[in-house]
Amino acid sequence: MPLEPEDELELAGLARRGDRGAAEVLLERHELAVFRVCRRLLPQGEDVEGAVQETMLRALKGLDRFSGQGSFGGWLVAIAANLCRDRLRRRRLVPFQPLETGDDEAADPIAVVPASEPGPERVAMARQAVGRLRREVARLPARQREVFALRFFAGLDLAGIAETLAVDVGTVKTHLHRAVQRVRAAVEEASP
Amino acid sequence: MTIKHLTDDELDLVLIGEELSAEAAEHLSSCVACRRRRDGFLAAVGETLDDDPDEATRARVRDAALAAWGGSRRNHHWVRWVAAAAAAVVLALLPLVKSELAPRPRINTDAVLTEVDDVLSRDPLAAAAPEEVVEAVAPAPETGGEGSWS
Repeated sequence: MPLEPEDELELAGLARRGDRGAAEVLLERHELAVFRVCRRLLPQGEDVEGAVQETMLRALKGLDRFSGQGSFGGWLVAIAANLCRDRLRRRRLVPFQPLETGDDEAADPIAVVPASEPGPERVAMARQAVGRLRREVARLPARQREVFALRFFAGLDLAGIAETLAVDVGTVKTHLHRAVQRVRAAVEEASP
Repeated sequence: MTIKHLTDDELDLVLIGEELSAEAAEHLSSCVACRRRRDGFLAAVGETLDDDPDEATRARVRDAALAAWGGSRRNHHWVRWVAAAAAAVVLALLPLVKSELAPRPRINTDAVLTEVDDVLSRDPLAAAAPEEVVEAVAPAPETGGEGSWS
């Protein structure tokens, strides 16, 4: 069950005073979103676990800056997104290209096909769709990839993404619309 | 009769999380083909989450962050002690500083000189030496008794 904002504010207050248990609860609740965002925003081969750990440490050290106006999860994901952006900028990496070379057999989503229709053709199509999605997300321009990751991998709504990236909701909609347009087209192409 | 399915733009709105017009929303709720398009995309997104880290990895990363956080907090304890000691020193020195800075009373030199002249005129030796010295050098004449001069 997700924490209510008031609970999170209280937990953050306890953590700020050095309560390790409170800090642990906060991290545990939102770490999956941080993992997902880091995995999608950093290039393959990058130390995702290191990025997540650094995100958590930055958050814990900066608890004084958490005002409680938004969710703790959104705040944490914002730190993760900024950290990934910093790493990419520092290493002068362009938005990363996937290392896999186009054949979608590299993907492993066997379970994507509904259990009632486990035909091999559908399995292959599902693999292809997921592989296309991964590649297309990786090819998106940085900003579009960010909003896509925050929406679909971190589960933030439009307002949450806007708050996380410190932009207005209209800007988020524009980037997200373009991103979804591209990714959906690629997915549908792979699974007509 | 032709069925008006959701356009790509309308489908993208649904995926983004925006509201559809009432007509489009009603169509979506009843059209298997449009729902399949929406669900197909969301299923593909969901499948990419298969590479979520396992609980052990999550716990290891979380614990490492918490340990580093605890370590940095402990490392900063000496700063608190130094600050407390500095505050104690400042508090101890405060009265001294205050007295140094306090305005000193002005001395009325004329009155002092007048008093000095007065003392000297009455008993010059008493003004220059302690009472026992004066007593030894020039004892006061005894009053009354056998040896009395009177």
